[in-house]
Amino acid sequence: MFACIGLLAVWQVASLALKNDSFPTALEAIRAVPDILGDKESLINILASLRRMAIGFGVAVLVSIPLGLLMGRSRAVAAFFNPLLMVIYPVPKAALMPIIMLWLGVGDITKTLVIFLGVSLPVIYHSFEGAKAVEEKMLWSSAAMGLSPVQRLVRIVLPAALPEILTGCRTGLVLALITMITSEMIARQSGAGNILFNALDMGQYDTVFAMIIIVGAMGICLDAIFERVRARLVRWSEPQFDMPLSFS
Amino acid sequence: MRWSRASEVRDGMRVVPSRSSEWVKPVTSKEPASTIIEIDRVSQVFQTSARKDHLALSDISLTIEEGAFVSILGPSGCGKSTLLYIVGGFVSPTSGAAKMKGQAITGPGSDRGPVFQEFALFPWKTVLGNVMYGPRQQGVRSTEAEAQSRTLIEMVGLKGYENFYPKELSGGMKQRVALARTLAYHPEVLLMDEPFGALDAHTRTRLQNDLLNIWERDRKTVLFVTHSVDEAVFLSDKVVMMSKSPGRIRQVIDIDLPRPRRRNELLLDPRYQKYVVDIERMFDEVDETGSPL
Repeated sequence: MFACIGLLAVWQVASLALKNDSFPTALEAIRAVPDILGDKESLINILASLRRMAIGFGVAVLVSIPLGLLMGRSRAVAAFFNPLLMVIYPVPKAALMPIIMLWLGVGDITKTLVIFLGVSLPVIYHSFEGAKAVEEKMLWSSAAMGLSPVQRLVRIVLPAALPEILTGCRTGLVLALITMITSEMIARQSGAGNILFNALDMGQYDTVFAMIIIVGAMGICLDAIFERVRARLVRWSEPQFDMPLSFS
Repeated sequence: MRWSRASEVRDGMRVVPSRSSEWVKPVTSKEPASTIIEIDRVSQVFQTSARKDHLALSDISLTIEEGAFVSILGPSGCGKSTLLYIVGGFVSPTSGAAKMKGQAITGPGSDRGPVFQEFALFPWKTVLGNVMYGPRQQGVRSTEAEAQSRTLIEMVGLKGYENFYPKELSGGMKQRVALARTLAYHPEVLLMDEPFGALDAHTRTRLQNDLLNIWERDRKTVLFVTHSVDEAVFLSDKVVMMSKSPGRIRQVIDIDLPRPRRRNELLLDPRYQKYVVDIERMFDEVDETGSPL
């Protein structure tokens, strides 16, 4: 919290000192925030962004977790998907956008697909690692109780790997935000990224900075909410005494 | 002291030398003790690298009678845990077969309940949740499973810890939960894989005493893997001594000590002391034949 205020203070002083048109003061930028959020057009744009992000993230998580878990428990599945994922992993997903745009147009599907790709990989990777690390003896114990292989995957591997999976999802959430803005920057049509870059083109620098603040705040809020949910779900695995850390 | 020679048959448990030509047909002893587990010429080969194979178990044959407490004792690397995993159905032998009540073992089953050195508790479940897991899986009604589980938790000395998560428990307590969790689904045979190996000496002693108390109540068949000689003698009816590289049965020793056994009486008993000394000497021999130190 103090760090944030400090950052804003430095910003304010720096912009007053530089007196540059393209570098509004922090106060000007903050003052522009309610204007953007009050504008119906902008709000629709931002909500459209959030919807794409939610869908891309949600579908990615639903597909990636089962895939990662299967890869972690089956050598054959891992051998099939690993090379494929190794090729896709280092490619910036935004670089695929021109091709996807060519095929699917500049609409929602393209942008959601890019978000989906961005989120999938860390979630698959962490689910895979989590499933691999599940103690063999734990699976044996459950097999002796009569759990079938599918039941073991759902009722033993999934909960046992959950802390690792949720770490992947947290990375995925931040990546969803990044790919969301990047995709809207490339295919401008609607969305938060669209407002940002249109304002930049028109020289409305206070709007540009206000949008950065809004997107940044969205990221911080989403991450904080996710962290709450995560901590609740895996309370059983956390160290008993948390260090008194405060991120807010 | 009665030592069984390698090819001798006593009390329904037979020990067979490594070559199958010397295979001894089952012989019924005086009292018809019923065989529950039969290990028939089991060998296990592990591929350690592309070209090298490691013979972990070589031609093991052993029968275990119902209600017996049998320890498998041997140096590390003699394949004693592998043998237990084969009986559990977690590992399939390279050749030979293990049978449970005459039926070939093809996989894990709730008639054989494992307890591992690593505890292998479900960390996302509370103590009660862990113990209830087996009965619930087998369709026991929730209220009934909970009542049974609470009784078992009390029996292993963890009353008051029902709602704790495994991470909040000490090693000894975790192993008590693991024992209760396995007992909860009523396996006919308990398969204990160095269950007290990760515990400090004092906790280990207390758990041995408690295990013996629990066992003396219902006399379930127990197959108990250990590398501790006094643990094996203190707990068992029979001790199966194994040697390593390859893993073979060296000798089967009947532990002819009265039950119920009390530690304070037993430690002073010269018969107990002689068993421990003799088996320790044998342990030294098998450890040296395997690999020079």
